Amino acid sequence: MALFLPYLPTERIIRTRGQPKAPFVLTDKQRGAVVITAPDRQAVALGLGVGMKLADARARVPDLLAFEHDMLADAQLLDRLAEACERYTPIVAAAPPHSLILDITGAQHFYHSEEALARDAEDRLDATGYSAHWALAETPDAALALARHGLKQGAEAQLPVSALDMNAKTHQALERAGLYRIGDLSERPRANLAARFGMELTLRLDRLLGIEDRPIDPTRSLGNVIAERRFPEPLTHIDAALIVLEELFMEASIQLEQRGHGARMIRIMLFRCDGDIARLGLETGASTRDAALFKRLLRERIDVLNDELNPGFGYDLIRLSVVATQPLAVKQLKLEGGEDRQEDEAAMVSQLSTRMGRDQVQKFQPANSHIPEQGMFALPCLDVPSAAPWQIPPSDSPPVRPLHMFDPPQRVQVIAEVPDGPPHRFTWRRKAHQVVRYEGPERIASEWWQRKDGQQSGKGGLTRDYYRVEDVKGRRYWLFRHGLYGEEKTNPDWYLHGLFA
Amino acid sequence: MAVSSPPIKGRHRKACSTDLLDQIILLSKLEQTMNDIDSDSATALDASLITPAAVSETAEKKATALKARFAKILSASDTKPVVADDLPTHFTFGIERIDAALRGNAVADGLPRAALHEIHAAEKADMTSAAAMSLLLAERCQTDKPILWISEGGEARRQGRLYPPGIAELGIDPDAIIHVDAADSITGLRAAADGVRSSAMGVVILELAGKKPKGLDMTATRRLSLSAQKSGVLNLLLRSGADMENPLPTAAFSRWQVSAAPSVPLEANAPGHSAFDISLLRHRSGLYGLSAQLEWNRDNHAFRERQAGEAAPDFGVVPALFADRTDHPDTRAA
Repeated sequence: MALFLPYLPTERIIRTRGQPKAPFVLTDKQRGAVVITAPDRQAVALGLGVGMKLADARARVPDLLAFEHDMLADAQLLDRLAEACERYTPIVAAAPPHSLILDITGAQHFYHSEEALARDAEDRLDATGYSAHWALAETPDAALALARHGLKQGAEAQLPVSALDMNAKTHQALERAGLYRIGDLSERPRANLAARFGMELTLRLDRLLGIEDRPIDPTRSLGNVIAERRFPEPLTHIDAALIVLEELFMEASIQLEQRGHGARMIRIMLFRCDGDIARLGLETGASTRDAALFKRLLRERIDVLNDELNPGFGYDLIRLSVVATQPLAVKQLKLEGGEDRQEDEAAMVSQLSTRMGRDQVQKFQPANSHIPEQGMFALPCLDVPSAAPWQIPPSDSPPVRPLHMFDPPQRVQVIAEVPDGPPHRFTWRRKAHQVVRYEGPERIASEWWQRKDGQQSGKGGLTRDYYRVEDVKGRRYWLFRHGLYGEEKTNPDWYLHGLFA
Repeated sequence: MAVSSPPIKGRHRKACSTDLLDQIILLSKLEQTMNDIDSDSATALDASLITPAAVSETAEKKATALKARFAKILSASDTKPVVADDLPTHFTFGIERIDAALRGNAVADGLPRAALHEIHAAEKADMTSAAAMSLLLAERCQTDKPILWISEGGEARRQGRLYPPGIAELGIDPDAIIHVDAADSITGLRAAADGVRSSAMGVVILELAGKKPKGLDMTATRRLSLSAQKSGVLNLLLRSGADMENPLPTAAFSRWQVSAAPSVPLEANAPGHSAFDISLLRHRSGLYGLSAQLEWNRDNHAFRERQAGEAAPDFGVVPALFADRTDHPDTRAA
C-alpha cells in the first residue's frame, strides 16, 4: 500500500502556524531565483504550480504569501508519520518527498480488509491535518504511482508515462513516439523498448506492472520475533502495560525456544492512541528467555528514563520485537543441584548495564600496543566476546606497571642532577617529593608508523624515558621524561603517568 | 584465578526485589537478637570468673531463651545467616600473628567473608595502596567469581584510573574484574547493593571519596552488610579523604587504615615489592590497635610480615649518579 501526501509541506505549516489568511506557497532559492516548491491547496486552485517563479506568481495572485521551504523538517515529519504507520505493519518505508510505502501483506486481519485498513490510515492522517491519497497494488512502485495519480488498483494501464519516473527527456521521447500511457508501452515488445530507451525503462515498467517486485527498505529493521497486542479500550496505566509486556515476552520466548535461540536485544514500542510512540530498548549480557529477568530489566529501564512514560489517553497497541538473538540451548539443570553461575553473572551484568548505561559497565581487554596508555581497552561488558589472556609478569620481580594510571599524564616539575639523568626531586600537585630510590630508564619509543612523517629520524613523536621512583614516605610513582635530551628536545618535560601500590 | 573450584552445592538464594524491606526488618531484628546473645554470654563469662554459679545461671537461662527465640525466628524466616558454600567462611592475611588475633570469638581465623569491611587510605596519596590492598584481600578470598569494582566517575579522573596491566602485575587476572563507573556515590551504592545481593559476584569493592559521600550512612552500610551476610559476597568499602579522627558511623565488620610503606630495595637501590602499613581501627569483637607492615608476594599470592627495622628507609643515600656515570653496569651508583 502506498500513501501519497500531496500537501505535506504546506499542511505542516498550517498545523504549526495556523491557517494563513491568504493563499500561500513555500519557496526555495534555485539558481538565484526564488522558485515555488510547494503551493497550498488554494494556490493550486489559482493555477500556481511547482517550479513557477515567485515573481510570476505574485503577478498573478497579488496577495500571495510566501514562506521559506524547510526540506529537513519535511523529511523529519515524513519519518515521524512512517513511525506512526508502524501500527499497521512493521514494514514501513518513507518514500521522499511525499509518500509512504507500507507492506500490509498478512497484516490486515484486524481491519477485515485491506481497503478498511487503508481508509483507517487516511482517516487518522486526516484527523491530524494531513490529506492523503492511498492506493493498493502488488508492488510498491505500482502502488506509489497509482497513489500519486489518484488511481485505484488495476488502473496501471491508465497511468501516464511520466509515472515511470525517468528523466524528462525520456518522457518527452516516449510521448513523441505516441506512447502516452503505460498501457501503450506494455503492449510493445520489451526488446525494442530496451534498445531504444535502455534497460532502466523496461525494469521500471516491469515494476509498475507488477511483473517484478522490488523489496522495500523499511525505516526500522525487522525484529526476529515480534509479539504485539491491540486493545479496544486504551490502557491508561503503566502497570497494566508492564504486565502486557511480560506476557508478550513470554509469547516471544516460546517462539525463540522453538528456534533454540534467546533474546539479546529487545525493542518495545508503546503506541499511544493520539499517535505518539514511546520506545524502549533493552539489552542483555547473554541470550535469555527468562521472563523474571526481563521484568527486572524492564523496571530498571523505566526507572532510569529521563522523561517518564506518560500514557496520556492510553496505549492502544503494544509491540515487543526481539531484534537480536543468539543460540541458547534448552537448559538442563545440573544433576547434583546448584545453579548456573554464568547465567547469574550475565544477569547481573545486564541489570547493571540497563541501570547505569551500557558504557558504564566495563571489562578490560588487552590491546596490542607497547604505548602504556594504549595497552588496554575498557569495553562495555555487553560487547566483550571472550576473555583475552593478559601478559603474565615474570616471577620474583616487583610490579613494573602502575595500578593507577593518569590519562593524560600529569605534568610535574623535576629536578634532575643531569638533564638526561634520573629525577632527584619532583613537585606534583604543589607538593615536593624527594626521590629515595629509582629504577630506570625504561625507554619506550613512539609508534613511528602511526605518524605522517614517522620515518624521518626524530620526527616520529617523542621517546619517553620511564623511571620507577620511590619517595621518602614509601610511595611509588611512575615518571617519564618526554623526549630525549639533546636529540629530540632541548628541554624535555616531565610527566607523572601512574602510581604503584 | 584459573583454579577451577568444586561445584557449589545448595547455595541459598532468595528472590530479593519484592520482599526486601521485610527481609531487612527481620534481619535487623535477628542481628539485634544475636548481639544480645553475644553480650549476655560475655557478661555471663565475666560473672562466672568472679562469682560462682548464681549470677551466671540466670544469665545462662536468659541466653538459652534468647537462643530459642533466635532459632524460632530463623526457622520462620527460612533464612540462613551465612550461606552454605564450599569456600571457607573466613579469609586470612596468611600471617599467623594477625589471623589468630583477628579470630576473636569466631569459628575460624581471619576475617569473615560474608561481611562488609572498610579500608581507609591514611591520606589521599595512599589511595593507590588502599586500592591495591582491597584487590589483594579479594584475591586472598580465592573465589573464582568476578570482582565487581565500582568507582565514582569524578574521582577516577583525580586519582587516576585502574590500569589493568598493573592489576596483572599484582598477580590478579584483570579479566576477573567488572568495572562500573558510577555517576555519583548514590548510584555507586545502589550498584553495590545489587552486586552484594546476588551471589553472582565473588567480591564487591565500592570506592568512595570525600569526607562524607552522599548517601553513605548507617542505613546504607547496614543494608550492604546484611545483604553480604545473606549472599556470602565479600563487600569492601574503599574510602579516601575520610575524617580519620571522627569517622562516619557504619555497620562495617572491621575498619582498616592502609598507607604505603617504604619497600625493601632491590639491587641498585631499585624500588622493591609493594609494601603496606596496615592498622586495625575497629572490629566487631572489640579488637584494637593491631598493626603490621606487609609485603605482597605475587608469586605465591601471600603477604609477608616485615619485622621492624627490616627496611629502614635510608634517607641518606640519594643516588649520586653523575659522579660515576659509565657504561659498565657494575659501577652504577648504588
